[in-house]
Amino acid sequence: MDEEAIIYLVFTSIIPVIAIANLSAFGGGFLPYFVIILAALEIAFLFAMNFADFLLFPVIMGILGITFQPYKDYKITRNQEAVVKNVNGLYYATGFTTANLFAFVFKAEREEEGQDVKQVQAVDVWEKVVMSIPFSFKFHVISAARDVQNVRDELEGKRSYQEFEMSKALNSKTSNEVVISDIQRKINVIQTQIDRISQGEKPIATIMYFETTAVGVSEKAALDTLAAQIKQLQIAASSLDVQMLRVVGRELYVLFKYSFALPTEYQAMTANFDVQQ
Amino acid sequence: MDNRIFMFLGLFALSIIVLIVIISVPLDYMSPIEKLALLIVAFFFDSLAFSTRFYSYLFMPMLKQRRRNVVLNSEEAYWLSSSTDSIIHKEGEDYIATVFIKVPLYRSGTEMTDQEKFEFTNQIARIVSSSSSPARFTSQLHIMNKDEYISTLRGTASASESEEAGLLSRSAPDTEVNRIRGKSSMWHHMLDNVSRTISLELVNYVSVSASGIKEFEAIAAAQQRAREMMSAIAAVFGISPSVITGEAILRFVEPEYLIPYSTATEQITKSIREEVI
Repeated sequence: MDEEAIIYLVFTSIIPVIAIANLSAFGGGFLPYFVIILAALEIAFLFAMNFADFLLFPVIMGILGITFQPYKDYKITRNQEAVVKNVNGLYYATGFTTANLFAFVFKAEREEEGQDVKQVQAVDVWEKVVMSIPFSFKFHVISAARDVQNVRDELEGKRSYQEFEMSKALNSKTSNEVVISDIQRKINVIQTQIDRISQGEKPIATIMYFETTAVGVSEKAALDTLAAQIKQLQIAASSLDVQMLRVVGRELYVLFKYSFALPTEYQAMTANFDVQQ
Repeated sequence: MDNRIFMFLGLFALSIIVLIVIISVPLDYMSPIEKLALLIVAFFFDSLAFSTRFYSYLFMPMLKQRRRNVVLNSEEAYWLSSSTDSIIHKEGEDYIATVFIKVPLYRSGTEMTDQEKFEFTNQIARIVSSSSSPARFTSQLHIMNKDEYISTLRGTASASESEEAGLLSRSAPDTEVNRIRGKSSMWHHMLDNVSRTISLELVNYVSVSASGIKEFEAIAAAQQRAREMMSAIAAVFGISPSVITGEAILRFVEPEYLIPYSTATEQITKSIREEVI
């Protein structure tokens, strides 16, 4: 959880807490209990919005039946899962899925497990994916280089923290071999990342996602075809070792906007998404 | 200060005010049920205040329009620059220009050795980390627009038919008639084949954006970024990337250009026919 989330949660949780602290203002009987239940629900809602707004927001918009027009001729559907465009009576529905190549992220951990072989295989795997898909799609990688010195400082800070944890674990009577080897593994991963930067490799942050478009004579037909295409895409790309989740809600809106204008700064790029570093 | 912060503070203050009213007004002037109703209102404002963290862009349009189709922007999403080499998007007071660069990579894994595949993936990694500002690398599979080709084939096939009819009316020799008949049959056969299957095309491109307070400033900055990116691509792959201009840009932006109209209608007719059968 980042600092911003903590600030928002602390501020907004004050309201239900104050309500509970002033139960006497509601008189006697069953009402104070009702206030406690309401306050608990409010806190639960705030936490749910913080951790799973991508689940709540489409449900709320679906119940209210609200659709959005992000730009002229486009519509974001009530379930917040696709952008639809009507062109001469044909509906084009566009959807997005995440495609973070975690295998690449964990390269540092698996240095000894034949990363070179994986790199060699990547070309063939990608070609097989492309050949097995009979509809239009786009695979996007948005990347931006990070400040080398900042990343280095950050990694060294992390390494120092892990080394401190290690010394604590070694001195503690309760720690076991599993804890120590886990900390050692974390130190090794960080050290490998520092070494890679020292060797001249640029640290970058990336966002990877698939975009696909389906067509239909009605909005429903286009959305149904889109859902089928996304499923097919998920199956086809499974060999890439990617985690593919359907993008909904505000992230869909942001990715849709990227079709016309990319973020121009690193900070703008990382504001809406967890990036792969 | 950011609009989002203003909204948060405004809604949070409303929530606090309502809560103060609930607590400070004695039960003689306000019944417990009325207080409970006000508490629900306070929680509602509190929830909205938290939601501004992610959804501040929706609040004002939703409040102003109060209808099920909320228009976030009624303008076109972008327009083509006068130099036709970029698209311009307006975000608040800023202009964001996006340039698309075609990367003519026509190598396949089937014609590479393992060493070449390894080098190729390294080249991709170098390109992805080459830009300090965000850049998007895309592989796009789209359906080829064969409308023009099909209409040329239709023209040629009917010309052959007319030629055959002319020969028959002039009682030309059988060999000549058979030759033209064969030619006509060949064109019809080709027309059937071409229109029966869809042809897919894979293109790779890079897009870069830059912002400016004036349109020309954004275009100049985006072109500068594009030039840097093009020289990096040329240096790594030894190819000549080019800036995409004019209507060709639409293939990367508009969904209807991914699935051409005639193909889409043909695809829909085919699926309806299959469903009926």
